Formats: sequence, structure tokens, C-alpha cells
Amino acid sequence: MKKILLLMVLGILLFSGVLLAASGDVQVKEDYDEETYGPKDPIVWVKPVKSVVFDHKIHTMDAGLDCDSCHDELFQMEAGVAAENEDFTMATLYEGGYCGACHDGSTAFASNTRCTSCHIGVLGNARLLGDGGAAKKEH
Amino acid sequence: MKIDDLEQMESEDLSTLPSAERRRFLKFGLAVTGMYLGGSVLSLASVQEVHAAGVVPEVGKYPYTPHYSMVLREKLCIDCERCKEACVKTNHVPSYGFRTTILEKRRSLGGEKFETTFMPVLCNHCNRPPCVRVCPTTATWKDEKTGIVVMNPSRCIGCKTCMTACPYNARYFKEETRAVDKCDFCLESRLSKGETTPACVEACPADVRVFGDLADPKSRVFQLVHSPETMVWVLRPETGAVPNVFYINS
Repeated sequence: MKKILLLMVLGILLFSGVLLAASGDVQVKEDYDEETYGPKDPIVWVKPVKSVVFDHKIHTMDAGLDCDSCHDELFQMEAGVAAENEDFTMATLYEGGYCGACHDGSTAFASNTRCTSCHIGVLGNARLLGDGGAAKKEH
Repeated sequence: MKIDDLEQMESEDLSTLPSAERRRFLKFGLAVTGMYLGGSVLSLASVQEVHAAGVVPEVGKYPYTPHYSMVLREKLCIDCERCKEACVKTNHVPSYGFRTTILEKRRSLGGEKFETTFMPVLCNHCNRPPCVRVCPTTATWKDEKTGIVVMNPSRCIGCKTCMTACPYNARYFKEETRAVDKCDFCLESRLSKGETTPACVEACPADVRVFGDLADPKSRVFQLVHSPETMVWVLRPETGAVPNVFYINS
């Protein structure tokens, strides 16, 4: 009798373990399709100021925007083209250019609010690159 | 002396100490504590009336003219570090030290979301600077006219006591000059040459750093720290250093 009980407890433990592992797998394995949603890695601009982040996933997969919502009218597909433009500034954003087309306070939060949501700065960029040593002080 | 002789001698431990002697020692200790700390740490007298004091001095109570100070509009800082770059260039700051830097605060918004706030820090040019008080060679002092905490590198012996005393970690030891170096609001590199702002203020693209004469009611710093419905704070007010770098959230 005791042996059966022991086996049952062991069985339950193993079974729950398998279940937990399976659910963990599901959470990790997200179906992020780069063809549909754009590059997986965040885009980081360092011009005109260091460092501003854009995450395709937040805008496409999470917010449901299509590629042609931004490309190629607001932004060229090719990486880094916008940063070469003279008018790639906050002032242009306030007038509805680039990110400001949606980040106007009604469609999405206004460009002149929540600065650090996109401006991750030198420290934030270092963290993004997994370069913890650069962000910390030298000892 | 032999060990047998030693055992014969009268003990000098506390058991033979008369209580009058103990009492005298305790009284002396309490007197010293009370006298030097004004009873702020341990006192048998009642504490002064408690009141919520602000960090902004009353109008007209600025000891210097011009009374230079800086207001940091914290939430606008984006850590682009142009201020740091400008400071390094202007004041020849080596890579291992800083006169000003940016700190990062991350506040959890629940889940995996964070709100980041960048906090520029520099010398607070305190009205009661602990660094000046501890310097054994008077290599650092409050400039009599402007209140800026300045350094004379040739008088510095590199004991680094000021670095320990500073509540803001605003000093570093500069190998090149064999002396401690710190922010002087660009007094030497710019203000004394006719410029009106430090290099970091000039370089900031987000108008985070506002510099000016706090004693002048028409100055922007005065208006920012004295405007209604504004949250104004200083770093580590409990040290009693009375800093002149203010932080606001609007």
C-alpha cells in the first residue's frame, strides 16, 4: 500500500514537472515571424542624439500595424536612412513627421511626452548590447 | 617581572573602578556629545519643535552675489551625454573620472515594464561644503564672490579626504595633476573668460540644465525653483550640506 502511495506521489510530481516545462516552452516559443513583423532586433539610432530605440515587435505584432503604415512613406525600409536626413529631429516629429505621424497625443502618446520610453540613452544602449561593463564604472 | 609577582598585583580591570569615577566619565561624555552635536544625535534635553522645512532657501537669503546654482529638469534628460562630452573637452577630464555624469533610475511599472529616469549629477556647490571643511591644506574653498567650490591643484596633497567627505561623489583624483579635480561650474574655463554658462548647460539639447544667479529674481533658476506647484528637491538633504543644485519635475 505504502509503495503505491509513494509511486503515486512520484508520478504526480513528474507529471506536474512535465506540465510546467511544457507551459514554459510555450511562453518562450513565440511565433515572431520576421517576414510579417519586421526585424526582431530593436533599431537603435545614435543620430542626432544617442541613443533612441525602436522595437518592431511592439508596433507590428503587439499594436497590429502593417509594414506599409510606416514604410516607405515615413521611413525607408533600408536601415539608417532616416538618420541621415537633416530634418530627422524632434521639431519635425512635433509637426507630424516620422514617429510624430502617430505619436501626436491622440493615436499614440505625444512625441513631447514620456521621453525615456524611446530615448534609452548611452546607458540604455549599453544594457541593450548586453555590455554591462561599459555602463558600469571602471574599478 | 615574573608571572607570580604579576598575580600579586592589584587588578586594573573595571571591577576595581569606583562608581564615582565611572559617573564622572559618563557625564563628561554626555557633555561632549551635547556640546558638539547640539544635542542632535543624543540629548537628554527635549528636541526642538519639528517642522517640515523646504530645500529652497527663502528669498533674499543667498550669501553670494551672484549666487550661482543649477536647476535640473530631471524628466527631460535622455542620457545623450552631450553634457559629459562637452565637460570632458572643456575641462580636460580623463576617461577614469568625471566632473558630471548621468545616473539611471528604473522604476517598475509592473510586469516587465520599467520607467526610466535619468539623473544628471555634479558638484552641488554646497553652502556648507563638507569637502572644504575636511581639507587639511585649504586646497579647496568656497569662492568668496560666487560661492563656487573651487580647487587649487598645486596646494592639494592628494589625501582624498574631500572625496570621502563629499556626499555626492563629485570628486575624483586626477593622475595627471596629482590632485583632486571637480566641477567648478566652468569658472576657470568659461565663466572667468566672459561666458555666462558652463559647457554642459550649453551642450544640452533638451534644456535639462538651467544655470544662473539664484539671488537674482529675474533669473530663470530663481523663477524655476520659486514657481508654484513645482516639486523641487535636492539630493541627500539630510547631510546638512545645503546644496545649490536643485531638481525639479516640470
